[in-house]
Amino acid sequence: MTTPASTLPLSGVRVANFGWVWAGPVVGQTLGFLGADVLKIESRARIDLTRMLPPFAEGVRDPDRSLSNHACWAGNGSVSLNLKHPEGRSLAKDLIARCDIVIENFGPGVMEGLHLGWDDLRAVKPDLVMFSMPAAGLTGPLKDIRTYGLSLTSTTGLDSLVGYGDGTPIPVENAFSDPYNGIMGAFAILAALRHRDRTGAGQHIDYSQQEAVMQMVGPAFMDYALNGRSAGPLGNRHPRAASAPHGVFPCAGDDRWIAIAVTHDDAWRALAAAMGDPAWATAPGLATLAGRLAALDALHEGLAAWTAGFDDYELARRLQAAGVAATPVLNVADLLRDPHWRARGTFIEVAHPLGFTETIYGAYVKTSRSAIEVRPGPRIGQDNERVFKGLLGIDDARYRTLVESRIIY
Amino acid sequence: MTPGALHGITVLELGELVSAPYCGKLLADYGADVVKIEPPTGDPSRGWGPFPGDAPDRETSGTFFFLNTNKRGVTLDLATDRGREMARALAAQADVVIENRKPGTMASWGLDHATLAAANPDLVTISITPFGQTGPYSDWLGTDLNAFHLSGASSRYCGRPGEAPLEHGTFAADFYGAVTAATWGLAAVYGRARVGGGQHVDVSCAEAIAATFVGGQNIGGCAQDGRFERRTGVGMPLGAPATILPCKDGHVWMLALEPGQWNGLARVMGNPEWMTVDIFQDMYQRAQNADVIYPLLIEWTMEHSKREIMDRCQAEGVPVTAVFTVAEAAEHPHLAARGYLTEIDHPALGRVRDLGAPFRLPASPGGPARPAPLLGEHNAEVFGERLGLGAAALAALHRDGVI
Repeated sequence: MTTPASTLPLSGVRVANFGWVWAGPVVGQTLGFLGADVLKIESRARIDLTRMLPPFAEGVRDPDRSLSNHACWAGNGSVSLNLKHPEGRSLAKDLIARCDIVIENFGPGVMEGLHLGWDDLRAVKPDLVMFSMPAAGLTGPLKDIRTYGLSLTSTTGLDSLVGYGDGTPIPVENAFSDPYNGIMGAFAILAALRHRDRTGAGQHIDYSQQEAVMQMVGPAFMDYALNGRSAGPLGNRHPRAASAPHGVFPCAGDDRWIAIAVTHDDAWRALAAAMGDPAWATAPGLATLAGRLAALDALHEGLAAWTAGFDDYELARRLQAAGVAATPVLNVADLLRDPHWRARGTFIEVAHPLGFTETIYGAYVKTSRSAIEVRPGPRIGQDNERVFKGLLGIDDARYRTLVESRIIY
Repeated sequence: MTPGALHGITVLELGELVSAPYCGKLLADYGADVVKIEPPTGDPSRGWGPFPGDAPDRETSGTFFFLNTNKRGVTLDLATDRGREMARALAAQADVVIENRKPGTMASWGLDHATLAAANPDLVTISITPFGQTGPYSDWLGTDLNAFHLSGASSRYCGRPGEAPLEHGTFAADFYGAVTAATWGLAAVYGRARVGGGQHVDVSCAEAIAATFVGGQNIGGCAQDGRFERRTGVGMPLGAPATILPCKDGHVWMLALEPGQWNGLARVMGNPEWMTVDIFQDMYQRAQNADVIYPLLIEWTMEHSKREIMDRCQAEGVPVTAVFTVAEAAEHPHLAARGYLTEIDHPALGRVRDLGAPFRLPASPGGPARPAPLLGEHNAEVFGERLGLGAAALAALHRDGVI
């Protein structure tokens, strides 16, 4: 076997990423972690709002110092181009002619308005893979729907399943669908890239975030398809009632909880034994899943009364040893100190070229052959010289003019 | 017909329940040849339903159906030497093995990546588990519920303060892990020539969420400043209105933050005087007066239907959406116009509606076209084609309880 050129599977793949805010940048990040050269195209003429999200490194408010922006965008490089200017758009096309993939997450028609639509781009790069991820797809009566990532899920049925079981949906307080679609979007691109390699043909991927997220509703959808039923909020109960008890129970301390899933009858016997076999738990009716489901409210109440006195981590270890799937419910600060995430290097401290250190997430998937190196989030325009001079062959004098006239900006 | 984008990729799935099967389904939906190995008793999701009329039948589980379209199915008892040997022989011819057993299980069967890769160096093994293959919790028992709540997502983002943190009411961690695994796994397949062979891809469902959903927007600030936030029960506590509100026939996701959106909402509501008050012009000030704002908005939403509110707000450029039930989402004309839903014939279920392709590849077809396999449906076909076993050999395996 010859020595490979790189340990990264997407080395040699180049991406122009027009993605903004969260979902689009995560598409680029995913490809970037895996070795692609991803160039986010952005501009100081219209700074991405997530670059201004606090907190900032060392408290200094600056578009190159937003800590959350860096974590969500790491893996992307950055070139700055003012797309309001015709010459900026022309340079973008020159760059795209040297790319395999274009990513964008604007609404339908925005790229066309910039003269960077699918027809414009395949004219300069015939086998291009273009990835568009509007909220509800490129076609259809809702194609121009206005949503934010955190409420897009309401159009899929997913939000109708979240809540305590009193029928009131509880909002998820951030856009779960953004990173989910960001990662899944990279899968769509890889599939199209393989098609290109086999056939020579590029394509324009129509990725509707609504349709992709709605897949998560699949099991509940099948109950509608087969029985005409629509479920309501389920709390933490098992979505298919195949496990009981199944929930989150209070522990000692401020906002401490334990998640317990009893997946089979032996685990219930083990849990009852751990509780000291109280009379309510050893009732013969509870020996089977059907019996436990029938008495679920009382069961959960009894269990909650017992867990409330324990430390969450200590109880989880004790129940695990007894054969019960039990885990502490972690808060944000716990993520940084939890021994499991520390052992897996989930969060890493990196030195930023601007002179500060920051904590971002690292390779959240472990690959046995690929050594994934995660670098800090990109500064605006950090790759300008490499790309415009090196890749596009622009000479020093013209480069200076482009910078002075705020086209490279 | 053009083959799917992943045509020619051979996948062996030793998955059960949700995570590994959905990963396998994504590959199968775009053209990979996925053979699913089930124990002779079947994937446990065959017992989960929903069943038509709630009558349990291992051939009619809706969950199993949804997660296993386009695959071929074989049965093998991996507790037997012969069963494991046959699985190894199938893996020797595969590009990808997908599994979601408790770490250590595959090794105990002689089906771990190191063993399989010794015979097939280009093999990509995708392992999807709640906590991952390494680290102190790798040998813990865990389910989708445990994974989700270990990710920080619920404590930070879902539930009322003082009440239990919540998951989504579906297998959110398993789906997230499955999508992550499909992406990283496909990249590993795509790049085999570049990196010099296959590899083991270790996905923890909890870790993928902890990093990319929770970590991204919280961990940097927490590490630097030692501060962190928790769930509030309100969609976006800093600005208002930004939360789910009740209406005449259900709920709406009420969002009107920017000045243009707030003014648009005011127009939809007939420009009530209170909305023009100075202190209500700013989304942060509105949030500080949430106890005043929300009851006034609810007074209005309760008089209107979710569709009416959504349509009128959208027409004014206000990003309000209806909280659709599963039925309302499934029947929405937009999805019908796009042809998202599909119908598939199944020997036991008849003609079944299913969700279609998760995304559109115009140059290469995708989405479910063939039903989930009956238990052992493709034993003769697959064992004949891949292992050269004839009818007599299959009958013996059947008699011995191997298949």
